[in-house]
Amino acid sequence: MMAISMGKSTRRSLLAMSLPVYVLLYAPLLLIAIFSFAPPPLAKGQTFYWYADLLHSPEVIAAFRRSLTLAIGSSVLGTALGTLMGFGLYRYRDRRARGFGSALPSLIIYTPIIMPSLVFGISELIFFSFIHGTTGLLGAGLLTMGIAHVTFEAPFVALVVFARLSGLDPNMFEASHDLYADARQSFLHLTVPVIRPAIIGGFLLAFTLSIDDFTISFFTAGPGSTTLPIYIYSAVARKGVSPDINALATLMIATVIGTGLLQYAFTRNRTRKLVARPGD
Amino acid sequence: MSAAAASLRGRAARAERFGRAVRLWVTAGPGLAWIVAFLVLPSAILLGIGFFTSGSYGGPELPLTLQPLREVAGYSILGWSSGNITVLARSLVQAMSAGVLTVLFAYPVVFFIVTRPPAARPLLLLFIVLPSWTNQVVRTYAWMELLGPESALSHLVQSLGLLQPHLGLFPGVLAMQIGLTYNYLPYMVVPLYAAAEKLDWALVEAGRDLYASGPRLFWNTVFPQTLPGLLSGIILVVIPAFGDYVVPTLLGGGKSMMIGSLIASQFLETPNWPYGAALTIFMLVFTCAGLFAFRVLSKRLGGAEESMM
Repeated sequence: MMAISMGKSTRRSLLAMSLPVYVLLYAPLLLIAIFSFAPPPLAKGQTFYWYADLLHSPEVIAAFRRSLTLAIGSSVLGTALGTLMGFGLYRYRDRRARGFGSALPSLIIYTPIIMPSLVFGISELIFFSFIHGTTGLLGAGLLTMGIAHVTFEAPFVALVVFARLSGLDPNMFEASHDLYADARQSFLHLTVPVIRPAIIGGFLLAFTLSIDDFTISFFTAGPGSTTLPIYIYSAVARKGVSPDINALATLMIATVIGTGLLQYAFTRNRTRKLVARPGD
Repeated sequence: MSAAAASLRGRAARAERFGRAVRLWVTAGPGLAWIVAFLVLPSAILLGIGFFTSGSYGGPELPLTLQPLREVAGYSILGWSSGNITVLARSLVQAMSAGVLTVLFAYPVVFFIVTRPPAARPLLLLFIVLPSWTNQVVRTYAWMELLGPESALSHLVQSLGLLQPHLGLFPGVLAMQIGLTYNYLPYMVVPLYAAAEKLDWALVEAGRDLYASGPRLFWNTVFPQTLPGLLSGIILVVIPAFGDYVVPTLLGGGKSMMIGSLIASQFLETPNWPYGAALTIFMLVFTCAGLFAFRVLSKRLGGAEESMM
């Protein structure tokens, strides 16, 4: 790699222009955390007052549980559908074929990714209310939210799995064929083991997308299916900034940043090992 | 004899192609069918509703009409009003300024990161991306606190005489702009970083050898090489910012709507589905036009490799 020569003054001005950006990115989050430790005047000294308050709120506990149920349930199905899609498109699509028919699967897969989430959410809202109005099925609730979540998770999983497969030696599949493995055997004993990291990664991505989503959840939720982001949103829309929301937001921020850093540490160690192996 | 062999081979090839097609539909079929049933079909219905008449409860009714689309342009039963155009223009201005602002913030950060030792770069990039992994509602809420009437920032602006006392920087157009820029900055930094990391520094050296000075050196050697990343970044920032729902509803307040909050209100508060659907059609047309322009531009510039499938 080419050494980057750059004047000291250029370096210094780059640092001077970047540092404020880093500070600005974290200042609002930090401020929330600081405010969350300020107890009301009558409870001086109780640093964790608002956190204890959260634990005693059945609404918050229920919303947290719903968020988890929704994320796990939808990610399991989304990962299954997405993995099959990524694999099928990699393995069985006729790549020499041209024209609309052969481009159709990719077009369908990219629809949920490029669709603005507001349009996504409203489409679901109308669709489910139409189905509910005519058949009485699929009333707005965790189930409709789950269906919507699977719809936006599966394509991302498919992309992750597809990317992993593209990085592999295609002769591997020929070899399994030569060894008289049928399609099912080759899928279970060859494909699944080699794409396991992609499946796990895809599942985690799906889980994160689900936990993170607000807009699509908001338009598919029913009266009894308030998840954490919806709980925060409606509390904020109702009463603006409030200390208990500060505490809840701080917990969510801490979880995300903690998980992100852990994941970074984990993958860095693993890549280092992988890189180190050939030299052993 | 050879004709028979050829026909046999042809039949085998056909059978093989058929088998592949069956396997494709068995594996990819369920997922594709799911997306068609729960997104392609619903969004087609939504777009179709834009051509219906608004019923007494705001639902779609026959006959088919272009009235909702005319309403988007500002023509209602009461005559023409500028209200809608203002909202559309505000959304465009907000989204584009967010694009410009994120570019201005992202360039120094990206070049700060790529000039660090390789081992330090992923962590520095991670710290830019991490805040965007928290929920958008939480991130936006954070600015309500920071810009509210009682905040130190608002006090400062009040004491400078730029703001009336007891008023905050939030809600309003400025708060919305800050919120959008903050929310979408990582989406600019990441593609720009990907382009900057592959930068051919030999060209920069060559430019320096030819006595090019700072801005000219940047403009002629660095900028063209980062252009593909910049274009992706602009697409990733401007289009979602244009249709954002959370930022305008939380930070904009009632007076400064954007198209996202305007659309949503047609389905939530005082329903008028056909009108909301017509606004959605407009938003999607804008989105597609943006994506198309990006494709044409990036193809002409020869950058931005096509992704996966």
